[in-house]
Amino acid sequence: MKKSFSLLLLLVVVLALSLVPAAAQDDVIEIHFMNWWDASREPLMLDLIARFEAENPGIKVINEIQPWDNRNELVSTAISSSTPPSIIMTNRLETFQFAGLGLLTPIDDFIAQSGLDLSVFYEGEIGNQYFQGQLYALPMPTAGGLTGMYFYNKQMLAEAGFENPPQTWQELRAVAEAITIGDAAGVETLGVNVGTSGEEFVSWLYTNGGKFVSDDGRTLEFNSPHGIETLEWMLSFTNDVNGGVENMTDFFQGSDFTAGDHPFYTNELAIMGINTSNFGHLNANDPEMYADTDRWGVMLRPYNGDNPDAKHAGVVGYSPVGGWGYTIPTANSPEVIEAAYKFAEFLGSSPEGGCVFLFAQSRPSPVKSCNEDPAYYEANPYWDTVLEGLSIDVAVPITPVQGQIADILNAKIEEAFFGVLTAEDALNEAAAEGQAILDTYWSSVDG
Amino acid sequence: MANARILAQSEGRARPRLSDFWFKHRSWIGFVFIAPWFLSFLLFDLMPFTANLYLSFTDYSIGPVQPNWIGLDNYIEIFTEDEIFSKSVGNTLYYMVFSVPLGLAVAFAVALLLNTRVRGMPLFRTIYYLPAIVPVVAAAIIFSGLLNTRYGVINQLLMAFGLDPVRWLSRPEWIKPSLIIMSLWGFGAQMVIFLAGLQSIPQELYEAVAIDGGNGWHRLRNITIPLMTPTIFFNLIIGIIGSFQVFTQVFVLIDSDGGPLQAGLVFMMNIYNNAFRYFRKGYAAALSVILFLIIMVFTLIMLRTSNRWVFYAGDEE
Repeated sequence: MKKSFSLLLLLVVVLALSLVPAAAQDDVIEIHFMNWWDASREPLMLDLIARFEAENPGIKVINEIQPWDNRNELVSTAISSSTPPSIIMTNRLETFQFAGLGLLTPIDDFIAQSGLDLSVFYEGEIGNQYFQGQLYALPMPTAGGLTGMYFYNKQMLAEAGFENPPQTWQELRAVAEAITIGDAAGVETLGVNVGTSGEEFVSWLYTNGGKFVSDDGRTLEFNSPHGIETLEWMLSFTNDVNGGVENMTDFFQGSDFTAGDHPFYTNELAIMGINTSNFGHLNANDPEMYADTDRWGVMLRPYNGDNPDAKHAGVVGYSPVGGWGYTIPTANSPEVIEAAYKFAEFLGSSPEGGCVFLFAQSRPSPVKSCNEDPAYYEANPYWDTVLEGLSIDVAVPITPVQGQIADILNAKIEEAFFGVLTAEDALNEAAAEGQAILDTYWSSVDG
Repeated sequence: MANARILAQSEGRARPRLSDFWFKHRSWIGFVFIAPWFLSFLLFDLMPFTANLYLSFTDYSIGPVQPNWIGLDNYIEIFTEDEIFSKSVGNTLYYMVFSVPLGLAVAFAVALLLNTRVRGMPLFRTIYYLPAIVPVVAAAIIFSGLLNTRYGVINQLLMAFGLDPVRWLSRPEWIKPSLIIMSLWGFGAQMVIFLAGLQSIPQELYEAVAIDGGNGWHRLRNITIPLMTPTIFFNLIIGIIGSFQVFTQVFVLIDSDGGPLQAGLVFMMNIYNNAFRYFRKGYAAALSVILFLIIMVFTLIMLRTSNRWVFYAGDEE
């Protein structure tokens, strides 16, 4: 009996002791961070999380990196479920789509509470995250710098007789004509691909003084004379210099710049459009090339030299895959939402957060002061051009139906490239169909 | 009759109470056995189907939001405004018309070869079946390499014979043939079913043909093919249903836009785009209902016409 009592007492003591840490853990709020910062960036992100947790001992962040495959299904089901992630990485279009359905928490009140000064961000970057007057995310990485810059191969240009990179459409074509070599299977060496998609068309449109949509986001304007001129130039370039749209598809088939399998690394492509993440990928895949600035350079997207109003430009916010931010689903508890906001603020604005993360990848931050760090000039040999690239970006106002409109534009432009439609007809048809969708959307908003 | 005899015998002698209980409620044992399937059917087939049918009459988008009832609006839009709908139906029918017969022919031909008595046959059967268990995504990645215009094996072979390379994945007219070629990759599953069917044909029938002086062609035409028609019919139905639902390989090989001029935009891709890219899930639900009806009509036609060409052993005809 005595022995049994002793055993029982021991059991009670062990149980009580085991409950102590559990009780302490109850004070820790766990937040699940769903993101797509792949394996190569995982150590960086874990380092960031460790810094955040050190500053906020009451919050534990579970880093949930996801594969890009099936992302659309995953995001929509995760956000709309009754147990969504605490904080999730969404692009601008997704943010608008989910915010429009009331699935995301606006963060204006949290910002007012924390006293975060939003002027630390570039205006276009923070402006991208507003939907119907409310802020839903802090940007990270930049939405800018996605379309305004190009890598060029200095050696290939020099061998073709060009000392400087092209500044205008006309110079770009001259370079391409001198470098591009075709054969029976298409193109062996390519000067530049000016693109065959709606996204590329819109990017070139802004270097010709045109606009995708009116400033209030209600009227599509890409079928203007500037638009038609832009598409005709792209058609002529692709068909006459590069041998047709299929040559471009074939040339890039299976290539992957992020994995080091790309014709730019092998001197088969002279000029390629980049986004700011490409600096990190170039450095990771070919550090020798990255270090040797005699081999490569950075130039701004050329403009139409025949148009006196045209200038270098990039586009912010058009691309359905750009404008990343960290949004907080409404289905979370208030404590989790508050903790998630703290993490979002750390990621988006803290010098110890997003600044460090992006600096390590030699890419710019949406926070202006981060980019003023002199160490950037050491890490990225073309930092001045990167900052210039950010400064030429033009914001495009989009709506939650942007995906449908972009698909229509893509399809019509493709028909122009395959000779089914003229440039003018393609743009007019796309504008008519897209405008009908846009009108339906705005009528639902206006009631 | 047998049950009545057992019952009479059982009434004549005393039986333990438990077995009496089971005997009286023996039909429940059957229900218990089918319960897992029935529950699965209820939860994973009937309920989703009913929910999908309801959603097809709404403007449901995403999340825990009460959708608005919009009647037939989705269906009217599909049939009167949606250009992609007719394009995707056309692409899918094209795919079905070529991929299903080709797949059946290849699977049947290989099954015939694998039904012969050759040393190491289990190894050959395994080798031919292996592609069927390779994940579709992996297979699609392999095919994107094989079909590469410059470096792909297929074009390298063509060029070795002095022929021009084919733009498999960059010209609209070659997109669907590429998908059809890729569909042949998974013939192993059908082949195994054919093989099982071939092995169930009685040898005496072949011996009878031999006695009558028939050759291999006669055996194939008069014995093998007629007796294999139920298996062919089964594979045909499964093949038609599968071809209407083709998705993953297209998604991996040519992306959700359907490739050049949307030549590869199949029906399931249209559903996917509306559901997961545009978040028009009510509209996607309506498309799914239409797909269900199309498949049902095709299946019914096949069933109705099967008595003209499918021979079941034991039939009086």
